[in-house]
Amino acid sequence: MPEPAIHVADLRKTFTVPVREGGFLAAVRSFVRRQHREVHAVSGVSFEIAPGEVVGFLGPNGAGKTTTLKMLSGLLYPTSGEVRVLGHVPSRREAAYLRQITMVMGNRNQLQWDLPALDSYELLRAIYRLHPDDFRKTRDEFIELLDLGDLVRKPVRNLSLGERMKVETAAALLHRPQVLFLDEPTIGLDVTMQKRIRSFVAEYNRRCGATVLLTSHYMADVQALCKRVIVIHHGRILFDGELATLAADFSADKTIAVTLKEGAPERIDFAPYGEVLGSEDGKVSIRVGRGRAPDVAGRLLHDLPVADLTIEDPPIEDVIESVFAGASAEAPERTPEPAATR
Amino acid sequence: MRPLRLAWLFFRVGALNDLQYRANFWLQLLQSAIQLGTGLAVLGLIFSQTLALNGWSAPALLAVMGVHILMGGVIGVLIRPSMERLRSDIRDGTFDFVLTKPEDVQVLSSVREIRVWQGVDILVGLVVLGVAIGQLQESLGPIEAVAFGVALVIGALMIYSFWLVVTTVAFWIVRIDEIAELFEGVYQSGRWPVTIYPEWLRVSLTFLVPIAFAVTVPAQALTQRLTPETLALAAGFGVVALLVSRAFFRIGLRRYSGASA
Repeated sequence: MPEPAIHVADLRKTFTVPVREGGFLAAVRSFVRRQHREVHAVSGVSFEIAPGEVVGFLGPNGAGKTTTLKMLSGLLYPTSGEVRVLGHVPSRREAAYLRQITMVMGNRNQLQWDLPALDSYELLRAIYRLHPDDFRKTRDEFIELLDLGDLVRKPVRNLSLGERMKVETAAALLHRPQVLFLDEPTIGLDVTMQKRIRSFVAEYNRRCGATVLLTSHYMADVQALCKRVIVIHHGRILFDGELATLAADFSADKTIAVTLKEGAPERIDFAPYGEVLGSEDGKVSIRVGRGRAPDVAGRLLHDLPVADLTIEDPPIEDVIESVFAGASAEAPERTPEPAATR
Repeated sequence: MRPLRLAWLFFRVGALNDLQYRANFWLQLLQSAIQLGTGLAVLGLIFSQTLALNGWSAPALLAVMGVHILMGGVIGVLIRPSMERLRSDIRDGTFDFVLTKPEDVQVLSSVREIRVWQGVDILVGLVVLGVAIGQLQESLGPIEAVAFGVALVIGALMIYSFWLVVTTVAFWIVRIDEIAELFEGVYQSGRWPVTIYPEWLRVSLTFLVPIAFAVTVPAQALTQRLTPETLALAAGFGVVALLVSRAFFRIGLRRYSGASA
């Protein structure tokens, strides 16, 4: 088995944050004697990612995704636990390590605002000490792949959000990193632009064999790019496995969609078969327990003049939602008492 | 020299940036002219009453003013923009982009932003210095010229160290926006040789905010008032200031990454 590109064992990060009640008096009290409490942003996360693998890192806001990514990229020092990426300890921030990784943050820019992206690219070439020929080759390849055309010659401030994200993504990969940390790379973009960034990441992964860890709120990103997902909630891993098995593991239901033949009676009561989710253009959706699905499908085919029938997993967004909902109900109280005062 | 090469690259980008905004050039020129005009008027007023101020003749004080404007230009072009950028990067989280680059974080943070039009002050300062040297009784030999150059570089490095320490505070206290204005206020006191001030202020302007080293000492070199001991003290203090500021910056970095927690 090859050495994993990313190895994380029992990783933890605890922040100490000031707390105070609302109101003037509380503000004065807090000024004199500040109260703090500990927030466990990541509490004991372990996983391994093989070279070339593309993994989706899912979780609601505040789940610990970005904190984990920051520890992997060397921006944050872990409170405890072990991290190794490409054999390096990220928090040491060795130049040899930083040359092999990149971090894309969808809501932040690194390009010079008033200049065409080409000027910023030159600056990055110098910072990463890229050979001029290699740099030009990569740059031109990305310009073609992302369909950047003349966008790289316009001042960045004149570009739309989507256009800016395209030139930003190209900038982040100019040094051909082996590990990509993508934090919401498509946030706020329209569907076409999301697709473009997505296909670029997929193509880069194919061409360079790079390892990708991606967080996104858009399930389409995850479905298009990642076979494997890691679901994190309250700083703990809830699921680590193939995206396809996520629904099987976490959703107790299946959705049966039935379309009846023309001329079928209009008023049919589907309630005895399961929970009716809706009906549209003669197609009725019924939710049934996973184990009962074949049986119910058989009854429907037997009882009614069925033209078409499909059994599907619920949409992945619903599955993820039910994962988080379940976890919230089970999660222990995570907010400890004020740990320190100063 | 990697830092100088990086500085040059960012200088080039900064120049490209600023060249787009020609109005800023005219504004800067106007500001420099007003500053020069008021400075000259005050000097004229003083020397209409007396022949020397605390042992400094009119041309010698003009030399101090020249160094003050020149150093102000150096700060405005090279030091202040990068430090303000560092502060906003820390506040906005874009400092992460600096940290993920395979370069020395302090070097990269210190050359990231350059304001070319502030260079007008450097030119004005040089012209004022040229006029002052022409009027000085003492002739300016190569030793004085070299001592002036060395003192100027040491002074600039000390001011840089001061800015770096103050900006590093942003790792703990995010809102320190008034620092730049505070520095400008204190820097104005460097228009006059620090030797004219009472002792407590002289000591503060020497060791707390190193304006004495940045302005008065180079001016002393030009007017043959500089002793080798003072220059050696400046060099020693300069090295200490650089080391201390670097150490403090590293503590700040550890704080930012949570390594100190």
